[in-house]
Parts: sequence; structure tokens; C-alpha cells
Amino acid sequence: MEGQFLSFEDLSVIITAVIIGTLARVWVLKEDYRQYPSYPNGYLIHVITGFVAAALGAVAIPALISKNFVAVTFLTLALQQFRDVRKMEKESLSDLENTEYTYRGTAYIDGIAKTFESRNYIAFITAFFVSLTTTIMPLNLWINIIAGILVGVAVVFFLKNFTKGKSIGDIAQVKEGKIEVKDSSLFVDGIYVSNLLGTDNAKKLFKEEGMAVVIHPNENHYRINLDNFGQRQAALFEATRALGNKRYHFTRKDYEQGRVVICLVPIKQDIDALIEVVKKCPLLESSKKSHSVMKTNLKGE
Amino acid sequence: MGRESTMKPDYRILAYITREKERVLTSNCLTLFADSEESCKEMTVDIAKAMKADVVQLTNGDYMILRV
Repeated sequence: MEGQFLSFEDLSVIITAVIIGTLARVWVLKEDYRQYPSYPNGYLIHVITGFVAAALGAVAIPALISKNFVAVTFLTLALQQFRDVRKMEKESLSDLENTEYTYRGTAYIDGIAKTFESRNYIAFITAFFVSLTTTIMPLNLWINIIAGILVGVAVVFFLKNFTKGKSIGDIAQVKEGKIEVKDSSLFVDGIYVSNLLGTDNAKKLFKEEGMAVVIHPNENHYRINLDNFGQRQAALFEATRALGNKRYHFTRKDYEQGRVVICLVPIKQDIDALIEVVKKCPLLESSKKSHSVMKTNLKGE
Repeated sequence: MGRESTMKPDYRILAYITREKERVLTSNCLTLFADSEESCKEMTVDIAKAMKADVVQLTNGDYMILRV
């Protein structure tokens, strides 16, 4: 009967690892406000799945040490669980597509879902390393636990930086665009955008309240990312979500110089916020094809 | 918003309002004749409002109501 219960040491290792792993998930949940589930239920769901991921990582080492090799196979459950998190997030965001001002687009949804999946791996790996450090350290239990926590924090820092993506602001300049309405056509900085302004109301609305930004790529090859339809859709989505959308929203690319126009009639008139939100729009993983893009200096000049 | 040429265009022409009788042709969309510029604009705005659609004014002065 005695062998069926966990020792105090094992229990301490597991509990510490689970707590640190879950806290790691909570931390990265808050880290990126665009992909942060702003609804309380979403927040709870991701904390709980993070807790489960941390628990799986925490018990792996004690299971191995007790020669319970069969029990380690439950790690496959972890993989399945993380894939389910991605699937759940993808389905959830896809269901919301028709209720937003503009579409997020499948490319952006895929990127967000992958981010959620990878953040569960962060909880899992952190808990695993905390558990490993605490177990193999030959010192007093409490010192081992402190060492495990320190290693856990270091692992989270490393993984957070490793998984941190780039944004449009890293590869391009985002500037305010000058709106012109000629007949029923809309031009931004001389770039034709749309001719959907056929009524007097539409022209008046855009002249008085329209806002536009133009994205100028720093290098010619960054156009590969910026011209991507999913990428432009994501930037437009972030713009309309940040400022609201009274009427009309367009994106247009300029073939000659590679400039990209984002324009809309927002509810909140704040051009600085529009520039900022477009700059901070994440570069989609699906649009990254070039190695030279991957080597971009993240810190800027 | 602009769609790429490789993508299936996601728009529908709902109505065409013209001041030239010769341009009133049978088609899938509603084609209306207006006898004055004022009436042309009024019809366009009313239909566009009802259908929650967008309006394009062609260079020949005709209006096309479409949903993008």
C-alpha cells in the first residue's frame, strides 16, 4: 500500500513544475495583446489547457524515475491535446469570421492557432525542465525547488524570444496616406484604390472621415510578404478592429514601388493609432518564404 | 476590397441605372432607365440603401449597384 502513494519529494517536484508551467502559459497569454483572448471564457480555456500541458510535462520525469516507462507514453496524449488546441482555436475564430468588421482570413487564423498550440508547448517544456532540474539536483529539496524555478524562468524567457514573431513595422515604414476622391474613384498618395464611391454621400464620407496608411517596404524582397493577400487582410483586420469601421475598407497594392495601401472610414479618428496597429500587425508565418526575410534584424537600427 | 485575379471574384451586380435607353438590355441584374440625372441618383441611392450595396459611377455617367 505504501508504494502506491507518491513521496513528499515527488509531490513537491510535480506541484512546483505544474505551477511554473501554468504561470508560463499565463505569462505568454498576456504577452501579445493581438492574439490575447479578450473574452473571459477564452482566457479560462487557455489557462486550463496550459495547466494540463504543464501537468503532462511535470509528471514525465517522476514516471521515468519510478521505471514506469509505459506511463511515459501518455506524452503522445500531450501532442494530441496541443493539436486539439490548435483545432479548437481555428474553429472558434473561423466561426466568428462573419461577425467581424472584416475577415481575419484563413492565413491569419492559421497563424493565431499555431501560436496557441506553441504556447502550450511552452507550458509543457517549462514544467518538464523544472521537474528535471528539481529531480536531478543532489541538494536539499527546497534548494532543488528554487533551482528548478530559476531554470523554469530561464526556459520561458528563451522560448518566448524564440517563438516571438516579427511584425510589419520590422520590415516596412508605415506612413499616413493622402486621400483624394476623383469622380467615384479613391486614390491614396496617387495610388488607385477603388471606384466604389459612386454616391455623393460616399465621396463626402471619405473626404471628411476617411483615413489611410501606406506601407513602404524597406527592401524590395519584403514585398513577398507584404503583397501576400493574407498579410494585407490581417493588417486591414487589425486596423478595423482597433479603430472600428463606420463604412468602407480597402487594401490595394502598388505594383511599381511595392507600396501597400490600407484605408477605411473608422469610427475612432486616430491616425497615430492606425499607423501603430498596422506596424504591430504580425508577419504571417505562411507568408514567410525567404531566408533573407528570416534574418531581419529584430531590434531595428 | 480588392481581390486577386487568381481568386474567384466575390461580387454581384444588383442593378444598373442608365439615362440612355439603348443601354437598357436584358440581363441577370435589374436594368433601369432614368429620365434625368436627379432621378438617376435618387434611384441609385434608394436601391443601394435597400440592398446595403455599393455604388460605382461609370465614366459614361451610368450607375452600377453591386455587392462586394
